[in-house]
Amino acid sequence: METRLERKKMIGGRMSNESFITLFMIGVLVVLFGVSCAIVPRFYLPQNMINLLTNNWYIIMLGIGVTFLLITGNFDMSVGGVIAMTGVLSVWFCQDATASQNALAVGLGLPYGVAIALALLCAMGIGAINAFFIARLKVPSIIITLGTMMIARGVAQIVAQGAQRNTSLPDVFGVLGGLTIPGMSIKLSVLVMAILVVAAFVFEKKTVAGRRTYLIGANSVAARLSGVNVRRHLTSLFIISSLLAGITGILLSSEFKAGGSSRAMGYEFDALVISLLGGVSIAGGFGSVLGMFVGAVILSVVTSAATGLLLSPDWQFTIKGVVTFIAILAQRFALDKRKG
Amino acid sequence: MELTDNVLEIRDLVKDFPSVRAVNRVSFDIKRNTVHCLVGENGAGKSTLIKILTGASARSSGSILLNGEAYTPHSTRDAKQHGISTLFQELNVVDQLTVEENLTLGMEDTTLGFLRKTDKINTMVNVMNSLEPSITPRQLVSTLSVAKKQIVEIAKAVATESDIIIMDEPTAAISESEIKRLFAIIKSLREKNVTVIYISHRLDEIFELGDYVTVMRDGKHIDTRPVSEIKDRSELVKMMIGKTVFEQYTPKEGECKDAILQVRNLSNHKLRDISFEVHEGEIIGFYGLVGAGKTELARAIYGVDPYEGEILFRGKKLPPFPDKVIAAGIALVPEERRSQGLFTILTIRGNVPVMNMRKISHNGFINAGQERKVTLDYIDKLRISTSSTEKEASKLSGGNQQKVVLAKCLFADADLLMLDEPTRGIDVGAKSEIYGIIRQLSKEGKSIMIFSSELPEVVNICDTIYLLYDGRMKATLRNGCDIDSEKILHIVTGGNVTSGDRGE
Amino acid sequence: MNSANEYTLRTQLERSNAVRSNIKKLYIYVVLVLIVAVFSVVKLGQVEFFGRGHFLSPDSIINLLRSAVPILTLSGAFTLLMISGYIDLSVGSAMSLSAVVFSWLILNGVSFLPAFLVTLVMGISLGFLNGLLVMKLRITPVIATLVTLNLFKGIALLIVPHGLSAIKGSATKLMPAWINDYARLDVLLGLPWAFYVAILVIVVLVIVQRKTILGKYAAAVGGNRTSAELSGINAVKLVWLLYIIVGFFAALAGMARASYMSLGDPLSGDGMELDCIIAVLLGGTAFSGGEGSVAKTIVGALIIVCLTTGLMTVIPAFWQTMAKGSVLIAAVVLNHLLVREKVKA
Repeated sequence: METRLERKKMIGGRMSNESFITLFMIGVLVVLFGVSCAIVPRFYLPQNMINLLTNNWYIIMLGIGVTFLLITGNFDMSVGGVIAMTGVLSVWFCQDATASQNALAVGLGLPYGVAIALALLCAMGIGAINAFFIARLKVPSIIITLGTMMIARGVAQIVAQGAQRNTSLPDVFGVLGGLTIPGMSIKLSVLVMAILVVAAFVFEKKTVAGRRTYLIGANSVAARLSGVNVRRHLTSLFIISSLLAGITGILLSSEFKAGGSSRAMGYEFDALVISLLGGVSIAGGFGSVLGMFVGAVILSVVTSAATGLLLSPDWQFTIKGVVTFIAILAQRFALDKRKG
Repeated sequence: MELTDNVLEIRDLVKDFPSVRAVNRVSFDIKRNTVHCLVGENGAGKSTLIKILTGASARSSGSILLNGEAYTPHSTRDAKQHGISTLFQELNVVDQLTVEENLTLGMEDTTLGFLRKTDKINTMVNVMNSLEPSITPRQLVSTLSVAKKQIVEIAKAVATESDIIIMDEPTAAISESEIKRLFAIIKSLREKNVTVIYISHRLDEIFELGDYVTVMRDGKHIDTRPVSEIKDRSELVKMMIGKTVFEQYTPKEGECKDAILQVRNLSNHKLRDISFEVHEGEIIGFYGLVGAGKTELARAIYGVDPYEGEILFRGKKLPPFPDKVIAAGIALVPEERRSQGLFTILTIRGNVPVMNMRKISHNGFINAGQERKVTLDYIDKLRISTSSTEKEASKLSGGNQQKVVLAKCLFADADLLMLDEPTRGIDVGAKSEIYGIIRQLSKEGKSIMIFSSELPEVVNICDTIYLLYDGRMKATLRNGCDIDSEKILHIVTGGNVTSGDRGE
Repeated sequence: MNSANEYTLRTQLERSNAVRSNIKKLYIYVVLVLIVAVFSVVKLGQVEFFGRGHFLSPDSIINLLRSAVPILTLSGAFTLLMISGYIDLSVGSAMSLSAVVFSWLILNGVSFLPAFLVTLVMGISLGFLNGLLVMKLRITPVIATLVTLNLFKGIALLIVPHGLSAIKGSATKLMPAWINDYARLDVLLGLPWAFYVAILVIVVLVIVQRKTILGKYAAAVGGNRTSAELSGINAVKLVWLLYIIVGFFAALAGMARASYMSLGDPLSGDGMELDCIIAVLLGGTAFSGGEGSVAKTIVGALIIVCLTTGLMTVIPAFWQTMAKGSVLIAAVVLNHLLVREKVKA
C-alpha cells in the first residue's frame, strides 16, 4: 500500500514543457520591460503599463482562435479579412434604407441587433468554408485561409466600394465600441477581450473539448482511434476563430462608427506572431492562450519601446520579424537545454 | 583481390537493448552467390541482425567480415557503398519519377548539370529488362505494382554491383503470380554474382528458393544448413519453435455465454468473406503472418476501414465511426504504438483518460483531481514504472508505453477489447504482465480479441484461435492440450488445410 | 472468377486514370483559351465605351504581356521549389525590396549594370536567408517565409523615406529617364528587354526542370525524400539552392516592375506569392511536391494575367480582391480534383 506522501510525489514531478516555455517568455518579458523602463523615458508610468496590456486587445482576440488552430497544426490567415467584412456588413445592414444620393449611405435598414447577428453569421460562414476545405478535403490550411482572407476582404471592398461606410447610422451603432467601464478608463472591448481570454484559458485547461485540441495536435491518427471526431472538432475551431474575428470586427466598427474595407490589414500576421512568441509550436500539440497573451504583451513592449526610442513606425515590420525569429530559436534552444 | 568462399562471416555478434539481449552471440557464414534464407519467429532477432548488417543499428559487440575484411556500416548508404543493398518493406522508389530516372537516381552522368544519355542508362535498363521485360523505362513508377517496384529496386541494386541484396519479406504484399516471377528473378541473381539474404515467414518459399537456411530463436543462432539437408517443413518448424514449453493454457471453465460480437461475411480490399462470433468473457486469437489481414480486420470492426458484410455488436449494427464504436463498448489497442496509440508528447495523465473523458468530467469540465486519481490507479494496476503522472509518454520504455495504451483502452470501460500485436517489441517481463492482465479481464467478463503474429502468444492465452492467410479465414481451433503448433504453422504459412482442421 | 473481377476492376481503374491524366494534360490550355474567348466577346461590346480597343488587338496583347513580365519571371523558379515540396511566401516582399533597392541605387546615380547586379546579389542573399531558416534552422517553411515576408517588406518601407509612398525623383534629385528602358522600351515587336529576359528565363527553367539533374533531384526530394537521400542526394543543400534561385528571380522580377513603373514601390510585389501559388496550382503541381511542370505554371500565370487584366476593364476595381480569392479557391478545387493521389492499381 502506498503512502499518501508517495502518491503526492507521483502527482508532482517536473513542470511541463508548456509551463516552462510560458515562464521562460514571462522572464523574457520582465527583462525586456526592465530594459525598456531603464532606457525609454516615462516607460514605467502606470498608464503606459495599462496601455501595454490593453492596446492590442483586437490582436489578442484574434490570437485566441489562431492559437487553438495552431495547436492542432493549422493556420488561420482569414481573420483580418473577416474583421473588415463583418465591420462593413454590420454598417451596411443597419444603415438607413431610404434613398439617398450617395450609394454608400444606403443600407438595409435592419435593427442593430439583427444586423450584428447577420454579420456574425457571415463571419461564421467564412469559418465554415475554411473548415470544409481543410477538415474534409485536407487542403493545406495556409492556402485556403489566404483565399478566404481575400474573399472576406473582397466582400468588404464590394460593399464599401473600396472605401468605407460611415453615414446614416443609427445612434445605437456607436454605443458598444464607445462604452467604458464606469470609474475606469477601460473600454468595453478590452473587458470583452479579458473575459474571452479567461474563458479560453478555462476552455483550454479545464474542458474536454479543450483537451481534444491538444490530442489532435499531438497525434491526429491516435486521436481518431481514441474516439475524437477530428473533423467535427476542427470545424468548430475554424468557426470559433472566425466568430471571434467577427466580434472584433463589430466592436472595431462600432468604435470608429464606420466600416472600412481596408481595416485590419495584416492583423492575421500579428495574431500569428503573438502565438509564436507565446511558444505555440506549429508541429502541434503545444502552446497555450496564456503564452499567447504574454507574447502579445512582449510585442507591445518591444514596439512601444522602439517608438519611444524615436524609431519611426516604419520599423514595426522589421522589428516583428526579427523578434519572432529570435523567439522561435530561443524557445527551441531553451527546450533542448532542458532535455539535457 | 582474392575472393573467399564466404561473402559474409558473422562472429559472436551481440546486440543489447536496455531490457533485452536481442541478438545473442550469433555466428554463421554466408556463402557467395547463394540464396541464404533467414527464418525464425517474431522476436527471434532476425530484424535486429538485419539492421546491424544494413547499418541502421550498431552492434554491441562481435565482428562482421565482408569479403574477408572487417565491416562496420554507419548508415544504410554506407552499407550500400560496401555493396550491401536492402529491399525494405517500405519501398524506396520515387513514385513520381520514371523507371529510368529511378534506376539512375544519384548516379547520373552529367555535363554541366545536364543529364546525359550514356551507356550506363542502357546497361541498367538492360539489367532490369533481363529481370522483367514488361517494364518500360519511360513508365512512371507510380503506375507499377508493388512487385514491379521491387524489381526496379532489385535491378538498381544489381546494376550498381551490389554483392549482397537483403530482402525483408518481399512477398508479403504481392500476388501469387507475381511471387513466381520474383522467385525466377531471385534464382537468376545467382548467375549475376549476387548473394541474396532472404527473410520470410512463408516456409514453402524457403524450400523453393533457398540454398542455405539459418534458423534463429530467442536471439540465438540455432543452425545453418543447406536446404537440401532438411527433410520437410515440419523439421524446420521444430527448429524454429524448439522445445519451448508453452505456458500452461488453462481451458475456460463453464459454458460459453452469449455472443457479444457477430461478424458475417466481412469483405473489403484485404479481407475475403470472414465470419465469426465472440462470446462474453472469451479470449479470441487471430493468428497469421504479416499481411494476412489481421490489422485490417481490427480496423474494419473499429470503423476505420470500409467494408461489406455485417458486424453486429450486442445484436445491433456497429456504425462505421471510431467514436461511435467506442461509445458502443469496443476499444482498440492499435498495431503501431507510437504513431497510432500514444500521444507521445503528452504526459501519462494526458494519455490515460482520453478514450472516456466523460468519466472524469462533469458537464464538459474536467475534474483534475479525479483525472490524477484514475491515472494513479492505472499506474498501480498495470504496474507502469514511472516517477510521476506528469512524465511524458515518449520518455517511457516500450513496455510501459504499451501499458499506457492498454490503460487508455481499459479506461474506456469497453466490454470488448481488440489488441493488435499487444506485445510487439517489449521485453519478456512486461509481456507476461500483459498476459496476466488479459486473463484477469477475461475473468471479469470482458471479451478480448488478440491479433498477433506470435504463435506462443495466441497459444498461451486464447480460448479460440482463428487462422488467417491472405485475407481469408483458414481454420478455427479450440485451444487445449491437444493444440498442434506445427499444424498451425503449416496452415498460416500457406499449407493446405486438411479436412479435419476445419470447423468446430 | 475472382482474378477476372480483379482484372476488370484494374482495367477500369487504368482507364479512369488515363482519362483523368488526359484531362490533366489538356485542361489548362482549354481554360486559357476559354478565358481569352470570354473576355474578347465581353469586351467587344465595350470597345467604344473604353476606347482601348479589342481584347485581342495587338495593343492589348502587348500591354498584357508587358504587365505579365514579373510573374513570368518568377513563377518558374517558384514551381521548382514547390516540386521539391517547399514553399516561399516571401517572394512578393523580396520583389518589392528589390524594386526599392534598385530604384534607390539608380536615384543615387548608380548606372544600370552595377545597380542591376547589386540587386541580383541582394536577391540571392534573401533566398539564402530563407534557405537558412527553413533548411538549416528547420523552421516550418510557411512560418519562416511568412515572417521574412514581413521582414523584407519592413526593410523596403524603411528604405523609402518616411512620408513618401515610393522611391522616385524629387525636386533635388531626378530619377533618370532611362530607368524604364528595361521594361518599357520597344526592342522587338513592341516588347521590351524585360519581356525577352522573362522568355529566356522560362526557356532556361523549363530545360532545367526537364533536362538537368537539378530538376530531377527536386522531384525526387519532393516525391520521396528518404529514397532520394539513400541515393546520395543532399536534400538540405538542394532545397537551399532552390530558395536561392527563387530569391534571384524575385529580384529580377522586382527590377522589371521598378523599371516599368519608373519608381520603387515598397508594396509593388504585394500578393505576388498568391499569384504564384495560383499559377502553380493551375499548372497541376501537387501540394506535397514530387510532380509539376514549369511550362504549365507559365500557362497558369498567363491565365492569371488575362483574368486580372480582363477583369480590370470589365468589373469595378473593388471587385478585384474577391475575384482573386475566388480564383485561388477554384484553383485549389481544380488541383484537388486532378492531382489527388492516384488510385492504387
